[in-house]
Amino acid sequence: MKIAVQLFGPLAEQAGVPRLEVTVSGATLQDVLAAVAVAAPTLKLDRSVRFAVNTDYAEPSAAVREGDTVSLIPPVGGG
Amino acid sequence: MFKVTTEPLSIDEAYAAVRRDDCGAVAFFVGTVRDHHDGKKVTRISYSAFQEMAVKEFAAIAAEAAARWKIGAVYIAHRTGALAIGDASVVIAVSAPHRAEAFEGCRHAIEALKKLAPIWKEEFYETGKAWISG
Repeated sequence: MKIAVQLFGPLAEQAGVPRLEVTVSGATLQDVLAAVAVAAPTLKLDRSVRFAVNTDYAEPSAAVREGDTVSLIPPVGGG
Repeated sequence: MFKVTTEPLSIDEAYAAVRRDDCGAVAFFVGTVRDHHDGKKVTRISYSAFQEMAVKEFAAIAAEAAARWKIGAVYIAHRTGALAIGDASVVIAVSAPHRAEAFEGCRHAIEALKKLAPIWKEEFYETGKAWISG
């Protein structure tokens, strides 16, 4: 399935694009992240990066379905 | 009551949104752009956000505050785009029957926003720039 991936802040800067589309064979967020690592090898996805499926924070074990948008959330700085 | 906007923020709007006849207190938090960071002169700041999720997080933060304290209403607005020194970046207002709950709810809202809201700050200095978190 194809999954849209949004990048924000420093991650968008690292990847050079704010959005990617990856083709994923598995069905979890972890599978999407593996595909992102291949598609954008310059991205540094360390432990500080959180993830969202659509508009909710999600763990790598979360299910991802066709049509979902995955977001990579680097450390936030609002306020 | 919850928004992410490129427009200047309004404390009057926040006050009007939360003031209620059954509440005797309104507490505010206003975050403003500071002119220095770690000894460096800040010239301007740019905020970006995952707008749809940020607004949803604001609503969840307000719901948690309402579950923990007896409060009336919560207003949370964050500005994005290019901000100048002194501009308000965030405005939070919380009304409550009594001041203690208004202060507690307001404090909770800004602390939770800083941890959870998908918003990013890029600081520009006289030379260079940096992404600032926390």
